[in-house]
Amino acid sequence: MKTISKAVPKLDHYEKISGAAKYVCDLPTKGMLFGRMLRSTEARAKFGNITLPELPEGYFFYDKNDVPGVNKVQIVLDDTPVFAEGIVEYIGDPIGLLVGSDERVVNQLLKQIQVEYEVLEPVFDPRESKESFFNVNIDKGNIAEAFANADKVYEEKFHTGLQEQAYLETNGLIAEYVDGKMTIRGSLQCPYYVFGAVAQAMGLENENVRIVQDVTGGGFGGKEDYPSVLACQAAVAAYHSKKPVRIVFDRHEDMIATSKRHPSYCTYRVAIKDKKVIGMDIDVLYDAGAYTTLSLVVLQRGVIGAAGIYNVPNLKVRGEARKTNIVPSGAFRGFGGPQTFFAVEMMMTHIAKDLGMDAVEFKLQNAAKQGDTTSTSGRYHFPVPIPAMTEDVLKASDYYNKKKVYQNQTGRYRRGIGASLVYHGCGFTGNGERDLIKAVVKLKKSKDGMVEVLTAGTDMGQGLFTTLNKIVSSTLEIPMEQVIVALPDTDMVPDSGPTVASRSIMSVGNLLMKAAKRLKEEWIDGEAQLIEQRYEHPDFMIPFDNDNFTGDAYPTFSWSVNVVEVEIDSLTGFIKVIGAWGCYDVGTPIDEQIVMGQMEGGFVQSLGYGMMEKMEAHNGWIRNSSFSDYIIPTAVEFENLHVMLHVVDYPNGPFGAKGAGELPNVGPAPATIDAIQNALDTTLNKAPFIAEDVMNFLREVK
Amino acid sequence: MSNSVKFRLNGAEMTYTENPAMRLLDALREGYLLTGTKCGCKEGECGACSVIVNGQLYNSCLVAMGSLEGAEVMTIEGFSKTERFAVLEKAYQEVSAVQCGFCIPGMVLASECLLASNPHPTEEEIRVGISGNLCRCTGYNSIVAAVGIAAQKGEGLW
Amino acid sequence: MVTSVFAHSLKEALEYRRNPKWIPYCGGTDLMVEGDEGAAYLFVNQVPEMRKILVEDNRLRLGAAVTFTEILNAAEVPQILKEAMGDIAAPAIRNAGSIGGNIGNGSAKADSALVFMVADADLRLASADGERILPIKDFYLGRKHLALKPDELIVEVIMPYKGLENYYYQKVGARDALAISRLSFAGIMELEGDKIKNFATAFGAVADVILRPKEIDAIMIGKTLEEAKALKEEYLKAIDAFIVPIRGRVSVEYRKDVAMNLLKDFLEVKGL
Repeated sequence: MKTISKAVPKLDHYEKISGAAKYVCDLPTKGMLFGRMLRSTEARAKFGNITLPELPEGYFFYDKNDVPGVNKVQIVLDDTPVFAEGIVEYIGDPIGLLVGSDERVVNQLLKQIQVEYEVLEPVFDPRESKESFFNVNIDKGNIAEAFANADKVYEEKFHTGLQEQAYLETNGLIAEYVDGKMTIRGSLQCPYYVFGAVAQAMGLENENVRIVQDVTGGGFGGKEDYPSVLACQAAVAAYHSKKPVRIVFDRHEDMIATSKRHPSYCTYRVAIKDKKVIGMDIDVLYDAGAYTTLSLVVLQRGVIGAAGIYNVPNLKVRGEARKTNIVPSGAFRGFGGPQTFFAVEMMMTHIAKDLGMDAVEFKLQNAAKQGDTTSTSGRYHFPVPIPAMTEDVLKASDYYNKKKVYQNQTGRYRRGIGASLVYHGCGFTGNGERDLIKAVVKLKKSKDGMVEVLTAGTDMGQGLFTTLNKIVSSTLEIPMEQVIVALPDTDMVPDSGPTVASRSIMSVGNLLMKAAKRLKEEWIDGEAQLIEQRYEHPDFMIPFDNDNFTGDAYPTFSWSVNVVEVEIDSLTGFIKVIGAWGCYDVGTPIDEQIVMGQMEGGFVQSLGYGMMEKMEAHNGWIRNSSFSDYIIPTAVEFENLHVMLHVVDYPNGPFGAKGAGELPNVGPAPATIDAIQNALDTTLNKAPFIAEDVMNFLREVK
Repeated sequence: MSNSVKFRLNGAEMTYTENPAMRLLDALREGYLLTGTKCGCKEGECGACSVIVNGQLYNSCLVAMGSLEGAEVMTIEGFSKTERFAVLEKAYQEVSAVQCGFCIPGMVLASECLLASNPHPTEEEIRVGISGNLCRCTGYNSIVAAVGIAAQKGEGLW
Repeated sequence: MVTSVFAHSLKEALEYRRNPKWIPYCGGTDLMVEGDEGAAYLFVNQVPEMRKILVEDNRLRLGAAVTFTEILNAAEVPQILKEAMGDIAAPAIRNAGSIGGNIGNGSAKADSALVFMVADADLRLASADGERILPIKDFYLGRKHLALKPDELIVEVIMPYKGLENYYYQKVGARDALAISRLSFAGIMELEGDKIKNFATAFGAVADVILRPKEIDAIMIGKTLEEAKALKEEYLKAIDAFIVPIRGRVSVEYRKDVAMNLLKDFLEVKGL
């Protein structure tokens, strides 16, 4: 292990553990107005008159008519209204915002508001939706020829459900408008996303918008695009009321109104010749919900990953995101990857079973190697350490022996073991970094030699500030105490891009390392210095063609192998994960413990996705809108969870590091479902798979 | 009830005269400005608002102020001044068990209550001890390890 | 502001209870989920008469304000009840939640009430004008509908102290901790010589109230194991007809299947 990988105390450790850290909900509220959203109770409807109760002095209601700029939230496309314009598209769609000085009074008043609806026919199933938001297609090789030459063709359908980020701190922001300048602070991942959205909605010049991150209690993608929506709404109220406006969601509101992981429906047709995959013909359908938000980019990642880690010479993928009248889905750690990786991993196990092969053997036989072409006809430029990682995980989990034993079980408890082999593409898809983000970072050295790291990177618990500090201080060979990484404030920091896509270490960290190298060379004692570093596109990359979806979608990939072992109670359907093993290649860890914490945490989220976390929109209503109904893992669920790192230097990342954060959210769910299908001696096609599904299955086989 | 509740908060004598039906959580955060106690769900399902009442772990969201007559309440602000906290704090640090931090004050108080009743817990007992405290970041392994380390290093303190 | 009252003794509590506006508050873990700040509570969590655990005349008396944790730690408590208490939620809820509240909340998912039902426990109900003993089975009249008069309090649960050793208990939740029962089952078979002296089952979280098929269970009582075995099919058929689940967080089919599976397992494990 490299010296840099040795764990250090996290910079925010003490303030958080002592309770001193101030999250946005902890800031003093004196003089502030509290805001609560008036939300649609209809899944699709025109609305007319809004009847307000008599508002006490100092209480205000704002809606679409009060948006001073454009009533659209800038995300990828501008279709999400700040406040609904005559039509609501999902239950929870914001119609207006009520603010006042007493939160309890605001809540009381909100209940008295009446909205006249003219109900329209909603669509809840994307398979029945006629409204296509996005199409993303891959056409590689000659798919018709592959199917013509096949020994056998397999066809199956797969489904995954909604998943809620369930960060412990709900979404919350404060907006304040002083002397013509709008300041938004709070819980957020991407200051410059919020910045752009607020400037547009408020019609303000850039110099009159300021976004500041407060200590943020978890994001997982759930604070990527959503804070842009909330910030515009809060800003409207602050603008008119001339008072700071605070909106902090309660858990119910957070669960019904903020973005989730897209539900998916995939159809796979796979051509096999001599036990090798020679072609895949795939339909990928993502349920986008009511507005487009991030669905285009989520879909892109899903489509690129649809062939899994396999070398598929002939590939056709038709990806589509359609509109439905449920809460919009958006970013969630893994970002479109977990859905198609689930599908392809299950598909491969089913084919292996039919071929009479062990699934892992079959997968390894078809896995891509360094130098092979990717699904987008780019290249795997760097080592693909999947075989070695697989060996380690199979050995640790005693996979083959268990697989042998777990057959023809008839007793009350039935065990199964399953595996998945996956990747996560590091950084933005395609040319995003070069054409959209154009990241800039700065290092600011003061006369006394303190070095301030200036990026828009946010720490929401993943340890980014500590990581960036280590990169800079190690490069400069100065103590960590001499380097400052503060919560980003757009008045101070350049736009180094959003904290998403497992890009922060690899992209932002790399720019910082370059800047630090320069600063080291140019270092002058006693003098203030400023170093600016701009993104440079790696020259080894095969240019990405957005129209044909060809080229290197990512400079490199992070790899993982996961094994999960379950025990199912055939009397109750209860599924117990009795063992879980994961091996992760994220390059060189900048901090071993931070990376392990990321891998373990993501692993558990993905286990939840596989066998626990069921969320449904029943006629548009998110029924699981509380922690008693939306079940996430506790400390006693996965007691036997083991993570190991497979360290290979990535030459283009700082100190050999590459993308990390999202990788563990991709593989564990399919490994879990593989284990469940092993225990039940069947083939399964959906996630999550929970106790009721087990009992339904057992009832049917009876 | 004369509409006043006498109780001790982090060692200090308090007389509470506001609404007895108010949640302890809200009184702590809004009234006493002790914001180390976090609100995650208001239904006792996440543990972010954990405090210690009469030596036992409670969800402060599920406690009405009026029930606290004569009670001894300790929050993270009070506990963070103790020797036991120092041991737990170091142990959590040693394994980087703090990520977003929102569950952590509650988690630390759950750790304290566990160790107070069981100074040498097994791994399984640790997991049960913190099973009412949801953490979405860590996957729990590091927190479980931290409590184990604290039990070892704090030998004699609990 | 609506106020609340704090009772220092049972007498005081019952006097307050003459006025139906006071909502009895014991552990708060159910009431405070709603968290109505306009509520007028009668705090009985520190009433000494409701805080006792004692054995008297071979009966275990548990004060209504006794918490789940206190039951877990009490030497006198039968294992079946301890097991049920240990499966409730998580430590903080067990520290605060009381059996009186668990029963009085009227939920068919109440984990302590399931054990009290299978044990055929009695409730001691009191008002300022007197008190009565009511079998817990007669306490539950329907969904959230209780045989508690507006001026009454649940003061104690009185249950057998012995004869519960040969039990079967299983709670099925959605996860291992912090789980609300999706179905729960308890069974007791007490043998005397070669005869079944007591045979009792109870099903939680399956219908509006906890189901306790006393009449059906009675067919097993007084029988030898061999005789009971011969009755097994008839017995299962009767229970199957008796259990009519309602849909909740899980489906009717799920509840029915799991209830019957656990019942059959109980019979098998106990040698029937």
